[in-house]
Amino acid sequence: MRRELTLPAPGPAGAGRPGQAGPSPAVPPPALTADGLRKSYGQVQAVREVSFTVQPGEIFALLGPNGAGKTTTLEILEGFRTADAGRVAVLGIDPADRARGREFREQIGVVLQDIAVEPYLTVRETIARNAGYYPRPRDVDEVIGLAGLTGLERRKVRKLSGGQKRRLDLALGVVGGPRLLFLDEPTTGFDPAARQEAWATIRALRDAGTTILLTTHYMEEAQELADRVAVMARGRIVAQGPPDRIGGRDTALTRISFALPDGCPAADLPPGVTGLAAADDGLVTVDAAEPTAVLHQLTGWALGRGTVLRQLTVERPSLEDIYLRLTAPDRAAGQEGSTR
Amino acid sequence: MSAATLSSRSSRRPRAIEAGLLWHQIRYEQLSFWRNTQNAVFTFAFPVVFMTVLGFLMRGGTASSYFYGRTPVAYYMPTIAALSVIGTCYGQLAVVLAMRRQDGILKRVRATPLPAGLYFLGLLAHCLVVAVTDVALIIGIGALFGAPLPAHWMALAVTLAVGAACFCGLGVAVASLVRNAEAAPAVVQLVLFPLLFLSGTYLPIHSAALNSVAGMLPIRPFNQALLAALTGPGLDWTHLAVLAGWGIVGAVVGVRRFRWNPRPE
Repeated sequence: MRRELTLPAPGPAGAGRPGQAGPSPAVPPPALTADGLRKSYGQVQAVREVSFTVQPGEIFALLGPNGAGKTTTLEILEGFRTADAGRVAVLGIDPADRARGREFREQIGVVLQDIAVEPYLTVRETIARNAGYYPRPRDVDEVIGLAGLTGLERRKVRKLSGGQKRRLDLALGVVGGPRLLFLDEPTTGFDPAARQEAWATIRALRDAGTTILLTTHYMEEAQELADRVAVMARGRIVAQGPPDRIGGRDTALTRISFALPDGCPAADLPPGVTGLAAADDGLVTVDAAEPTAVLHQLTGWALGRGTVLRQLTVERPSLEDIYLRLTAPDRAAGQEGSTR
Repeated sequence: MSAATLSSRSSRRPRAIEAGLLWHQIRYEQLSFWRNTQNAVFTFAFPVVFMTVLGFLMRGGTASSYFYGRTPVAYYMPTIAALSVIGTCYGQLAVVLAMRRQDGILKRVRATPLPAGLYFLGLLAHCLVVAVTDVALIIGIGALFGAPLPAHWMALAVTLAVGAACFCGLGVAVASLVRNAEAAPAVVQLVLFPLLFLSGTYLPIHSAALNSVAGMLPIRPFNQALLAALTGPGLDWTHLAVLAGWGIVGAVVGVRRFRWNPRPE
């Protein structure tokens, strides 16, 4: 499916309303600030201490296992729930401030986790209806193209597939031309091709100036899309930063692994390698802070012996490795609570 | 971001814009209703079938004191009209709202800038359209079986508007109080069914004690006000005041207790 992915900037963000600039125009105020959020449901502390900021134009991903408090955090920021404690500013507005609720919702877009759209209207009618709620909506046809719903305009919503309904949900989230878009697990249940398309859409929105806060279970998604990520576990943020650096990923040891050549005991490896090596089932792994010298020794040794190093790989820890390490205590303690 | 800039973008809008938005909402509520053809047909079939059956059973009946000096058809025309308005504004609205909440549709409405008041006004207008159509059908069928045409059109319009608003308010209140959508039809029926009997919808009640009790509850005043509007003497202020009171009670409970979120806090 061919799609036009260059978007005009949504009115409020691109136009830069006059008088909006703060005291220091060089550093724009954060699009979103959460400071010391707490929320309990009865005895369950869903959110214990959550603080982060999202800069304008950034894609920020909240990662975490089920029950970590991602959705509760998102719902506080979206104005659906009020925090027990803490301070929230989304586009300079407190989402719990009812007096400014309308002004707030005119500037945000929300795509919730569960699919829910009224069944009897067509795709086009549903989008046109929601467009009418906003002062400066995007063009309905542009939104249909953006969400990949071209050709389905006249189809009744109840006849759409699950993935198509999800795309309609996304269309409804962006039709108002939001400055900030909340996406709660936007690609859960998508096949790989659909996921790639959704990622392209999300990037196009960011490129048009939309700030995006998303939650996801997929490390690949966070790695592909996010400028910064925060890992949540048991109601707290346990690490945050760019996906390439989070949890010390950039300074973590590099892992070199290879199969031991046939008939060669591990003791025969060059001295600079043996000290770091761990052999297991014929596969040797070497964790090196500085892999250049180790690799040089290793490959020199192999060439000198006239052998090859089968299955040779050099890798830094993936985001998933870091994520699993960060959330390990949580899994050990057993998962608590459900997705809320 | 200066406070002055933001407060100049306050949420007060020109009335023309709000009226346009209300019209937009009413249009799409209507479209959504009529697109669900099966539901639309049954909504109107029920009072039509009911009135037709009663018409065949009661036609040719003479005016009697049992029917307060009216013919049976002339008595049943307003009570069945009331029944259809109650079914739409109270029953269907409560069930639809409970279902929309459970399905997460209300939460999505809340995520848009559409003001809650306009959303409910759109629903009220939709219920009023259905109620007026129902009543027109029942008056038409009643006329086929010899009932007189309404004696006081203005009184009828006022009574319908007050009645529809009152039962919409009560419908919203019930939707606010039930916990899940599956329970909503049962709760609606439980409240409705005995009250309909008590209020003379199916048979005239000639017990002063029962009538004084039923007169304090919402259905009998609506029956009586419609009876007065359709067959005289006209506007029945006392009963309309009781209806308005119940409408306000319903609206207050609805506004205080209404939840948009499928999951409670």
